[in-house]
Order: sequence, then C-alpha cells, then structure tokens
Amino acid sequence: MTTAMARAARWTIRPAAAQSLGGLILGRLIQALIVALVVGVVGFAMLESLPGDAAYRIAAGRYGHDMVSAAAAEQVRAELGLDRPSWVRLLAWVGHLLTFDLGQTAVTGERVVDAIAHQLGHSVLLAALAVGLALLIATPIGVMAGLNPGGLFDRITGVAAILLRATPAFLLGVVLILLIAVRMRAAPAAGHAHGASAFLPALTLGLVLASVLTRVIRNAVVRTVSSEAFQFARHKGLSTGAALWRHGARNAAAPVVAYLGVQTALLLEGVVVVESVFAWPGIGHALTHAVFERDVTMLQGTALALGLSFVLLSFLIDLACRAIDPRTRG
Amino acid sequence: MTAPGMTTGVGPITLGGMRPGRVIGLVGAGVIVALTITGPDLVGYDPARQNLRAVLAPPGTAGHLLGTDHLGRDMAARILGGAQLTLGLAALAVGTAAAFGVSLGMLAGWRGGWTDRLLGAFADGVLALPGLLLVMLLAAIRPDSWWTLYAGLSLTLWVEFFRVARQRARVLTAGEAVQAAELLGLGRWHIVRRHLWPDLAQQVLTLAAFGGATVVTALATLGFISVGLRPPTPEWGVMMSELLPSWRSAPWAIAAPILALATTVLCLRLIAGEETEA
Amino acid sequence: MTLRVDDLRVSTGGRRLVGPVGFTVEPGRPLVILGETGAGKSLIAQAVMGSLPRGLIASGAVSLDGARVDALPRGAREALWGRRIAILPQEPWRALDPLMRNLSQVAETHAEVAGQDWAQARTLARADLADLGLGAQAAAARPGQLSGGMAQRVAFAAATAAGARTLLADEPTKGLDDARRNDVARLLRRFVEGGGVLIAITHDIAVARALGGDVMILRDGEVLETGPSERILSDPQSDYGRALVEADPENWPFWTSTAAGAPVLAAEAITVGRGGRALLGGLTFALREGARIGVIGPSGLGKTSLLDTLAGLIEPMSGRLLRHGAGERPLAVQKLFQDPPAAFAPLATLAEQFRDLARRHGLVPQAIPALMQRLGLAPELLDRRPAQVSGGELQRLALARVLALRPAAILADEPTSRLDPVTQRNVMAVIGEAAEEAGAAVMLVTHNGALAQRWAGTVLDLARHAVAAEGVVVQTPERASAA
Repeated sequence: MTTAMARAARWTIRPAAAQSLGGLILGRLIQALIVALVVGVVGFAMLESLPGDAAYRIAAGRYGHDMVSAAAAEQVRAELGLDRPSWVRLLAWVGHLLTFDLGQTAVTGERVVDAIAHQLGHSVLLAALAVGLALLIATPIGVMAGLNPGGLFDRITGVAAILLRATPAFLLGVVLILLIAVRMRAAPAAGHAHGASAFLPALTLGLVLASVLTRVIRNAVVRTVSSEAFQFARHKGLSTGAALWRHGARNAAAPVVAYLGVQTALLLEGVVVVESVFAWPGIGHALTHAVFERDVTMLQGTALALGLSFVLLSFLIDLACRAIDPRTRG
Repeated sequence: MTAPGMTTGVGPITLGGMRPGRVIGLVGAGVIVALTITGPDLVGYDPARQNLRAVLAPPGTAGHLLGTDHLGRDMAARILGGAQLTLGLAALAVGTAAAFGVSLGMLAGWRGGWTDRLLGAFADGVLALPGLLLVMLLAAIRPDSWWTLYAGLSLTLWVEFFRVARQRARVLTAGEAVQAAELLGLGRWHIVRRHLWPDLAQQVLTLAAFGGATVVTALATLGFISVGLRPPTPEWGVMMSELLPSWRSAPWAIAAPILALATTVLCLRLIAGEETEA
Repeated sequence: MTLRVDDLRVSTGGRRLVGPVGFTVEPGRPLVILGETGAGKSLIAQAVMGSLPRGLIASGAVSLDGARVDALPRGAREALWGRRIAILPQEPWRALDPLMRNLSQVAETHAEVAGQDWAQARTLARADLADLGLGAQAAAARPGQLSGGMAQRVAFAAATAAGARTLLADEPTKGLDDARRNDVARLLRRFVEGGGVLIAITHDIAVARALGGDVMILRDGEVLETGPSERILSDPQSDYGRALVEADPENWPFWTSTAAGAPVLAAEAITVGRGGRALLGGLTFALREGARIGVIGPSGLGKTSLLDTLAGLIEPMSGRLLRHGAGERPLAVQKLFQDPPAAFAPLATLAEQFRDLARRHGLVPQAIPALMQRLGLAPELLDRRPAQVSGGELQRLALARVLALRPAAILADEPTSRLDPVTQRNVMAVIGEAAEEAGAAVMLVTHNGALAQRWAGTVLDLARHAVAAEGVVVQTPERASAA
C-alpha cells in the first residue's frame, strides 16, 4: 500500500506540480543552458585529450583542414589564449559555443550547421513516424486491455509488452533486420540495411515506445474507469459510452500525456541507437560517428541539436499537460 | 480490526507475497549470477585465445559448448567473460548510484532548505540530457574505458534513487509518524531505521533492478554501435557487432550473445515489474 | 412513490455479508441506516441501486412504486439511474470529475440523461446551483476549488438533475465538520420535505437526529432494530443500540473538574501561523496540571497549527510560550494524533517500536506492560504491525507510548474522529482517566462541540473568539488576516 502510494506520488509530483507559465519557460531555458554547458565541457575535454597541437586542431575545426596554416593557428592561439590556464580556456571555449558558431567537421570539412540542418529533417521524420506508429499501436490495445483488466486480452498484451520492453532497441533492430533478411533471402549490407526505407527503423523505435505506452494507457484507463468520478457519472444516469467520452477520455489522457514527457528521453535515446543500427542519415547516426571518429565540432553540433530538441519536446509536453489538466496551471 | 484474511484472494496470485514475475526473475537472475561468478573457468577456455583453424565451429565441436567465433575463440567462454564484465559493471554502478542517491535523497527530503535546493538542482542538471546521451558524451572523452562508462552510468542512475528517496523522505518526515517519533525523543537513527528505510527498501530493490537492466542495455548498445567498449573485449554488444556479418553461415554464434543479453535484461525487468508504476 | 425492500441479502462466495433487511420508505419520511464502519451499510445502497461490485450477489426484492426492479435486466436497471433513483456519494470531492467545471457536471445530467438541449441544460443547471446557494463563481469553478459542503451540494444537483426522486445518501457527512454536517443535513431535509424518498446511511447519530423519520440500526450486516427516530434514539431496545445512543456525545455526562494544579504550559499573546501566514492571533491561556481544555472551531482555522506550536514543532509568530514546573522537562509535551495508524511506523511491529522507546529513554522493562494493562490492552497486540490493530486499540497504544514519558501536557488532535462512536466513547474515557492519574494537562482539539463541552472542563471556541473559565485565561482571539 505504501509503495503503491509512493509510486502514485512520484508520478504526480512532476506533471501535477502547479507552475506558472513564466516559471516553466525559465526552467526549460535553464535546462537548455545546462545542455549547452555539458556539451561545451565535453567538447573541451575531448579536445584537450586529443594528441597534437590544440591550435592547429581548433583552426582545422573552424576553417577546414585545407585552410589551416601556421598563421591561422597562431590567430586561434592568440584569440583563445591557449597559453592561459585551462579553466580560462574552458570558459572561452564554452563562451564561443554559446555564440552558436559550430565550425566545420573534421572529416569532410562541411559546415556543421549545414550538416545538422540536413540530418535534422531525417531525424524528425523518423521520430514522427515512430511516435505515430507507437500511438497507433498502443492506444487501441491499451484502451481495450484497460476496459477489461485481468481478461485474456489484457494478460496476453501485458506479457507481450514486458517481453518487448525487455528487448533493447538495437537488439530489436537487429532481430527485425535478420527476420526481414531471411524473408527476403537477401543479406543485409554488413548488417546495416542502408538507409533506403524508413519503415524498419520507424517500426523498431515505434515498438520500443509502444511497449511501455500500451501499459501506461491501459493503467490510465483502468484507474479512470474504476474511479469514483466515473462511477458517479454512471449513477447520474450517463450511459457507459457517454461517461467514457465525457469523463474517461480526458482524465485518462492526463497521465498519458504526462508520461509522454518521461518518454521523450526514451525517444531521443532511441533515435540515436536506431539511426546508428540502420545507418539512417539523421543526427543520432552523425553523433555516433562523431564519437567514433573523435570529431569534436560535429559531436558538439549533433549533441547540442539533440539536447535542445529534448528541451523543446519536454516544453511542448508541459504545455499539453497544462491544456489538459487545469490543476497543473500555476 | 483488519482481518488478515480479508486481503488474500483479491488481486493477482502471489508467492510468499511476491508477484510470480518477480519470482521467475529472481530465480533466473540467481542462475545468471551463479554462472557469472564461476566465469570462463567453467568451460576451461580463455575468452581471448584465438584458434584460426577452428573458426565459426558449430556448438559441441571439440569441447566448444557454444562453438567458436570468427577468430576461433570459444563462445561459451566469451559469453561468460562478457557476463562478468557486464554484471560487474551493473552491480558496481547500481550500488554506487543507490548508495549516493538514497542517502542524499533522504538528506535533501528531510533537511529541506538549501541542501534540498542544491542537490535538487544537481539532479535536474543530470536530467537535462537523456541518460544514454550523457553516457555517450562522457565516453567520447575517453573511448574504450570501463571507468568512464562506470562513472557515466552511476551519474545518470543515481538521480532516480535520489528523486524517490527525497520524495518519500519529504512526505514521511512531514507526516505524523515521524512527528510523533520526534516528540517522543526517539532520535534520528530510529527515524531512518524504522520509518524511512523500511518504506524505501521495496522501491530501492525495484529501482536497482531497473538500473541493472539499464546498465546492461546501455553497455551492449554502446558496444554494438561502436562507441562503448571495443574489440577484442568480450562484451555482448561488441560480440554481436562482430558476428553480425557471419550470421548466415553461423547463426548460432550471434544467437548466443543475443540470448544472453535478452535473458539478463528480461530477468532484471521481471524483478522490477512494470515501469509505468515504478 | 415508494421504495420497498424485502428480505434483501448480500453475499459473496456463500458468505452472507448483509441481511436479511426489509423496509419501506415513503416520500417525506426518510430512513436512516445507522451503524459503524464495516457494518455493510454501503452494500445495502449498492444492492438497491443495482451496482454491487463483481463477486457480490444480492437476493430478495427491491420495488420502486410497487414494481419489482431487482429482476430487471442490467440495461433496464441502469436506465433507472438518475431518472428514478440516484445516489449521493461519500466524499463528493472525489466523486466529481476533477477536470470538469461544476456547471457542466450538473448540465450534462440535464442534457445526456434528461434529454434537454445543451443551452437549456446549462440554464437549468445554473438555476439548480443557484437554488442551492451556489453562485456563478462556484458554477464556473472545478470541484477541487470548493469546500466539502459545497461539493456535496454540486453532487446533489448533478445526481438529481434528471428527476430522480429516490435518493440514497451514502455517508453524506463523512469528513465534514459540525457546521458543514448540519448544512448537508438541511439539504437532505429539504429534499424530503419536497416529497423525496430518502435513505441516508451514516455512522453519525447527529445526522439521524437531524433528519428524523425512521432509524434502522445495523451491526455486522444484521438489523438489530427499526422504528421511529424519536423512539430509537431515546429508548433503543438492543444492547448495541443502547451503546450507540449512549456513545453519542450529546448523551455524555458533563465532566466535573477537580481542582486544577499549577500551570505547566502558558501562552502569552501568541500568534499561530504556518508558512509565514498567521492563522490565529492574540491567544493567552495556561494549561494546568490535571486540567482539560477543549478546542473547537471549523476546519482550516488553525487548530492543528495551534497544537504544533504548543508542542514546539513550529515557532509562534509572535508572543511567548512559557513552560513551568513539570512542563520544563524535555519531552514533557506530547501529542496524540487524529489517525492512529498514521502515528506509528507502518512496517515495524509495535514491540519493536516500544523497545526503541524503552531503550532510548532507559525505561524499566515492566513500564510498558504495566501501562498496557492499565489501559486495557492485551500484551499480544505488541506482536502485530500497526495496520493489524484496530483504531481504538492503536489510539490507546499511542496513549501508552506517551504516558511512558510521564508528560506534563498531552495535546490531542481529534484523537477519536476516525473511530466509531462506541469506541470513541471508550477511548475518550481512557484518555481522561489516564491523564488525571498522571496529573497531566490535556488540550483536546475536536470538531465535535458536544464532545468538547462534556469531556473538557473548559472550551476554547476559536470561531466565536470565546473566552472561557477556570484554569484558563483567554483574551479575545482574533482571526488574523493573511500576512
């Protein structure tokens, strides 16, 4: 009983804590700033740990490998004061990042901003397809299971959800690749089905999201239908349909939308993993490449883009929660 | 009086007060841990020893229980070596996270004020980025480093313990039971031992199981997408990525790490229960 | 219009929970079903309504206006809901939809059930609410923004808007203080006087007295006696009925104060507040050895904050709090709480909790068993966890725990409001006697005016800014405005 209450309390503390709109925006702005700081510090630390002369590397990052000259390196050295103590350089580095000058990638020399703009479209497409698929799968299953809790359908989908959720996203991707490959009698190109079709990556990510979402929806429906408010609506004389529509939908939607806020982290992690597995040319894939190739500028750009998307998505969910549940408005 | 018999027979079937899922998970995890502790010694092969004359041997060949991989290394030894690496990291990271998270959470929730605000701000800072992303970024600073992964995973995991412990400590220390204990002069140790810890213990177990599943998943994921540990380390994700190209000629080879990973995560998740309520 | 119930029984798995119960309720003469928690009162309402939870089976006959309804198919039975028969829920702030405006919750009954068009439904709903004294502001608010009494009125309007003239009110005053309880009783009274058929289910004799009509006393699902309210409430025949009526604070004898001793705790013009907000101001009084002060006033006034201030848990915002004599010892001021299970560590056995207490304060080993015996508690209780002990026993265990420290003052915060009437009577008697023996002063906070008047020597009415007598000096306390 205590744990059940504690659990309930935990879910309500974040979404239901009443907050003014200004406070909400401020909180998310601070979060964005922290994201930039973390990314900047990581980029700086990576740079420091790389071998070779820092001024040359930074100049290469900014102007491209072909343009690096002793003069350019000296200019960087003077501008960033590379002979100053490391904490001063750290501040200068992060300060430079906050101007959103992301520089050029070490590998191709492309401007990082351009590369990200191109990748962002792919990632958004993948994420939108995945979320759409997840909702399409989870909503009917969750509602049906929730309307008859303990029934056969509920138990079967419950077990399926547990098994699916216990499968790591990349593993699900690999299994899907292998299954399709067996079906199509075609070997996947070195394990990475080359980014031709969005279907498999979107399905993988969609299934990962749906596995939890199904149970969240199911539990929200169970709680709503067994609530005293729903019972009272029936006793007032409302038909089951009318009571569900007028009192069920919105009350059940509130915790589900709040949970979507929790799921944005899962979504973004999934984007990184699934893109990497399927070589889908999005930001997540670019990030793993940048980590692997130790491409500092690209890493900063992609991590910043993903981190800020996370902040933006969380903010949109906050707004949705406020629209659905007036109690969360400060 | 609440008759003890009133509640039985209602709700799902339980064994000794536990969900059947948790029982299965605990039994499975027990077997996995026993195998892990014995390690590669169990099969008598060194997971690193190559034998290029016996590559991708099917299971059962020449004493290789699970066959060999593309470099002729014993698969069973590599799976068990990977288990030691993975579960060792999981246990240490979860242990660290739980110790810091629970104690700091109790402190923050109980003391309130600036302690609470500072620790809370730090936790929010960690949550500013999705956990796996943070671990990846830290791993980027020092690639192929066990210690970086350990630090990164502990850092992301402690927040959950902290948040739960803080929330419960806040509720409980404001509640009547703790107020009564304070008025009766029972002291802080009594409050921690009789009020805070018993309330948290169940949830700490649940969170620890989730945390374990998170570590195992993250390690394999990062290994598979080449940003975690690297070959020739016998790590399950790395092994899958190495064996994927030869899946058609030796499906059993890639099946072994897949099954090892899937069963381990499943057992941990069965112990934890549904995360919608965790 | 009549509701008639014959030989009604509710059972589960062959085990009878309620019955046999039979009664007839006519318009204008309500039936009050009186009994303690767990007596199966709510099951009767659900059986009449046709909404028993799965697994529970009802037998017997339920007739509405002479027509059997219990045998109707489920759909036809449910078609009566709201139109012919309605239920007024316990704790309406939980039964109303927290996300919907109050007006819509009433209007939807007019529209969806009574078939009015929505514009008309809203007009009717506005009139219904206005008729119950709820203006445009309350209509536009959501249930969470209303007081318990107001929420009960919204629920009443919503439940009866489709024309139901038979109303089942299930513990309609649960969780309400005296004044709001009387409001609800008036609301139900008005429904009856307008020709409604009412069954009210309650554990509160005051509700039965306010409603009149007939009273049925129920215990363990069995009817002990039925009859006109005046007779049953003044001269019950069954043992339990007598105990129940005697347990009503209205029927308690007045406590006669023995001479009060020296002051142990004195407040000098204190202002009580919480979180920087002043709640009560200018309170001056002294708690004396062996004296009892009852503190009454509506919910939300700051009664609990006053006790917390006296216990030293929160600082007074202004004024001085002085401890004298026995009151100067550490731990000399102790508290009893409203919800006994909430005052113990839920997951430790009582033995463990008492052992911690004895060790910490170096009590002699016999101290606790002796106290328990004195308070009429079986030693086996110690082997249990708090949730496995009844509320009355647990409150006495809490008293034993407090007495073990030889307190100079005991602050009791609604210690019996969660207990049924007979237990309440016993527990209050035990608290009084034990405190008297220990020479401790008691300050009792309660929402029950009659109980305070009879149990305590002096009553401090925070609402009326009252001044009371011997052993206490109270300056006119003012309701301090929000700082």
